[in-house]
Amino acid sequence: MRTTRFTVIGAVGTAAVLALSACAGGATNSTGAKGTIGTPAGTGKTITVWAMAGDLSPTTLNAINTKFTKETGAKVNLQVQASWEGITTKVTTALATSKPPDVFDLGNTQIPSYAANGGLLDLTPYKKELQQGNTWLTGLELPATVDGKLYGVPTFAGDRAVIYNKKIWAAAGVTEVPTTYQALIADLDKIKAANTAPDFSAFYYPGQYWYGGMQWVWDAGGDIATLSNGKWTSGLSSEKAQQGLNDFKTFQNTYSSVASRQVDIHKPEHTQMFADGKTAAILGIPTEIPTIKKANPKLTDADLGTFPFPGKSGKTQPVMIGGSDWGIAAKSQNKELALAWAKIASSPDIQNTYVFAKDGWIPNSVEYVKAAQATGLSPLITGFFAAALTSKSTPAAANWSTIEGDLSINQLFSSIASGAKSPADAAKAFDSHADSVLNGK
Amino acid sequence: MTSTPPIQETPSDTRPAKRDRRRRRKLHLGVNITAIVFSVIWAFPVYWMINTAFKSRPEVMTATPIFLSQHPTLANFIAAFKQSSFLLDLRNSVIVVSGAVVLSIVVGAFASAALSRFHFRGRRTIMVLILAVQMLPGTALLIPTFLVFNSLNLLGTYFGLILAYVASVLPFSIWVMRGFFVAIPFEIEEAAMVDGAGTWRILRSILFPLVIPGVIATSIFAFITAWNEYLVAYTFMKDQSMYTLPIWLASFSNPQTGTDFGGQMAASVLFSLPVVVFFLLIQRKLVAGMSAGAVKG
Amino acid sequence: MSSSSEPVVSGEAVAAAGSSRQPGAPRSRPRKKRNFAPLILLSPAALVLLTITIAPIVLLVFLSLTDYDQKSLFTGEFTGVGLGQYSSIFTDPEFLWSLVRTVLFATALVTASVVIGMGISQLLTRLGTVMRYVVTVVLILAWAVPTVASSLVWDWLFQPGYGVVNWLLTQMRLFGDLTNVNWAQDPVLAYLAIWLLIVWQAVPFISLTLNAAQTQVPEEYFEAARLDGASEWGIYWRVTIHFLKPTLLLVTILSVIWDFNVFNQIWLVSQGGPNNATATLGIWTYKTAFIGFHLGEGAAIAVVTTVLLMIFTAYYIRNLVRSGEEL
Repeated sequence: MRTTRFTVIGAVGTAAVLALSACAGGATNSTGAKGTIGTPAGTGKTITVWAMAGDLSPTTLNAINTKFTKETGAKVNLQVQASWEGITTKVTTALATSKPPDVFDLGNTQIPSYAANGGLLDLTPYKKELQQGNTWLTGLELPATVDGKLYGVPTFAGDRAVIYNKKIWAAAGVTEVPTTYQALIADLDKIKAANTAPDFSAFYYPGQYWYGGMQWVWDAGGDIATLSNGKWTSGLSSEKAQQGLNDFKTFQNTYSSVASRQVDIHKPEHTQMFADGKTAAILGIPTEIPTIKKANPKLTDADLGTFPFPGKSGKTQPVMIGGSDWGIAAKSQNKELALAWAKIASSPDIQNTYVFAKDGWIPNSVEYVKAAQATGLSPLITGFFAAALTSKSTPAAANWSTIEGDLSINQLFSSIASGAKSPADAAKAFDSHADSVLNGK
Repeated sequence: MTSTPPIQETPSDTRPAKRDRRRRRKLHLGVNITAIVFSVIWAFPVYWMINTAFKSRPEVMTATPIFLSQHPTLANFIAAFKQSSFLLDLRNSVIVVSGAVVLSIVVGAFASAALSRFHFRGRRTIMVLILAVQMLPGTALLIPTFLVFNSLNLLGTYFGLILAYVASVLPFSIWVMRGFFVAIPFEIEEAAMVDGAGTWRILRSILFPLVIPGVIATSIFAFITAWNEYLVAYTFMKDQSMYTLPIWLASFSNPQTGTDFGGQMAASVLFSLPVVVFFLLIQRKLVAGMSAGAVKG
Repeated sequence: MSSSSEPVVSGEAVAAAGSSRQPGAPRSRPRKKRNFAPLILLSPAALVLLTITIAPIVLLVFLSLTDYDQKSLFTGEFTGVGLGQYSSIFTDPEFLWSLVRTVLFATALVTASVVIGMGISQLLTRLGTVMRYVVTVVLILAWAVPTVASSLVWDWLFQPGYGVVNWLLTQMRLFGDLTNVNWAQDPVLAYLAIWLLIVWQAVPFISLTLNAAQTQVPEEYFEAARLDGASEWGIYWRVTIHFLKPTLLLVTILSVIWDFNVFNQIWLVSQGGPNNATATLGIWTYKTAFIGFHLGEGAAIAVVTTVLLMIFTAYYIRNLVRSGEEL
């Protein structure tokens, strides 16, 4: 794999594109008083932080907490929530109480609704201080911004790239990483021919995997929904989006097993499929690599590789920047301390040494990304950083989380993959549903 | 009770008897075969759960299912045991369940005693209301209860969660126990009163013992509700050191930590074990109680 | 918040059977002067009851008349909408479809559970000690597994590609190759899988309860019927069912209430999908209140569900209220 050339291109390219996108989407500072966070005295006080399991590692969280206690004297009551099931109910009810937890780890697709409905503290007066001279990634900052006001501090970013099994690829006669779509399908054809077990998938791509499915739509030039004059219009019926959906269907049906057409990535667990050798490649996030290695200790770093999914457009498929933002409860009893904590979580030291170096996530600002690339990215991480060059995010609508929660977007893709609905019909149904939800039905 | 039809033996005709015996034997065989087939089908899911739990990783997802593990292992159980905070959550579940069972029985018994033995205005309305409450969809009262408990500072406490479960079990338990109270003839009470026993004594020594089956029914219902419930526990408890077992089971499906069906099945076995044991222990009393209750009159 | 999935022993029908057989219970007795001590003892319990049970219900009804949503939770702002909320529910096609689904599905569940329960109850009376014990244990196992766990097991049983049910069905060569069928994503199959799950866990309670009542039927009635030359089927119909009526009524009503509101099993297996195909009223309430956070609307749907269910079970309620008057 041409790692070094990749890294160089990656470094220059990433900085350029991310900087450009950050510039374009940067929210202007709102008028109003500027506040200072500084270093509030907190001896004898305790703040409560709710983190989600699988986001930042315990090591990173402990590092933030230690630094925080050192600087302010206050302690941290860290609660790691192990399950996403029911988490919106849990967070919503917690935000409604008079003594809520102070800091929350909120998914960047869920934060718009908490922000728009008044559950979170307006951070705009502190924005400059929180940024600490850096430019945040658009995909993380935009969802946390409502009506020009900031409600969250970016935590980390993740995206999706192809994780592939070098051993299976080599056994089929493929040794070079594909950089174009044509090369990719040629490689997958070879792998498919070399592995004829009925439950083997050259590329395991569950039909409900909309994070991946959206990449096809974006690559073809389409979009989920656009905002104009305060109204959201869902766009999956557009010609370009339809092309993307058809491409998705063709790829999915050709290279992924029949059983995968209507499932999601968790049932069965796609990392498990990979670890069991039932597929040669999946589309995954950075933290799934340790999961795979744990599931099959025989797979080592040398056996795995990553690369961005090449798009039919000639560029890599645009990926969805996922990740979290730290939100502070509007009714928090320890606002200054919470702000200090969030500032530390966003500081260079934590972002570079822990969020990126230890956890393997993409750090929250353009400058940190550059710094990370300067240290030289490991082959396994390169793919994710390269993929992040071209990125998009889900609509920053207050009600977007409903679309994710009611699984209508999962159904869209799985009905197309299975053939239950044609791409045109599926998109029509989705568009009418999304139009009413996003516009506040 | 093995019921065999009485043999009709008339002294002068033995042929019907022989026919009867043969028919009986065929019937017996048919009945037993039906029972075996039924048992195999009905026990299959539990068998499959246990079977998968003991399989080693490569045996779990195979194109041809493996019906008996060739390399059985305890690895899944050990992993489940170590998963997040199993023992802690187990302890919390036991606390909450015990509290819910005891409180539902006590409050339910008193309330149903009052409703069945005392006349007061609005008693009929209350009975209908109690029935109506049971018909509410399960999740409907989550937010209202949350708001009420929040104002009473009951959130994030064992007592609060126990009360929430008691609230959902109480209507049913009152309904069941009232049924048993109603069946107790008034003469028994009268006799005791003539003997000079106070109302309290009557309640304690006479009425309550006669509603034991209702008590058992309530305890089963409370047990299952408190053991199985996820959303209220997850929403009401603020500190993860107080989470109950269903939350542990949900965390087991967390994609970030990477699960497989073998581990999930092992976790399910562990999660179901106390309930199964409890049911098996109780079931004798249950049937006996039911029969005793039915024999009245 | 009643858990809708776990059935229990009933004293009600048993009691009803008992009291209906009580000859000469004095109907008019002198009103006894009651000691008020018990009532005083009851008041703490009553207070607890009031707070934890009634207050949330009152709040629920209140919420059903407002447009309370997530914003209201955070800021406390909401506006009263009044009964307009209810009329808008009844004109919402999604709600009406959900209602239709619920009624049909509940009917299918109750019918199967009761019929199979009756059959197994009868079977139990014919078995020898050993087999009877085996069947009872099997029933208890199915009954005891918590719904959260049994739904996971069902997920695994019906997995496309690796699930054992698909494999077994394919082996039977009746329907062709079913290896890759995804039950949760097909509207009919999803219902079938969930129906199997619920019936599997509902039959034990029904059969054991019916059996307990059935074993109490005095032997003489059977003998008399046989002497009259009645067939086995005739005996069952005329003797057994006659004595089982109260218990049957009770388990049916309980099943109707529970199956109408079933939530866990549907949510965990299909999440109400595909495309709301399996979204019964319980699921619909949840989706409205907890995914869209339209709490006012969700409350109204819950109230409507309860009222509808009360209408459906009105006959039984009338009986209950009447029997209460006997005392």
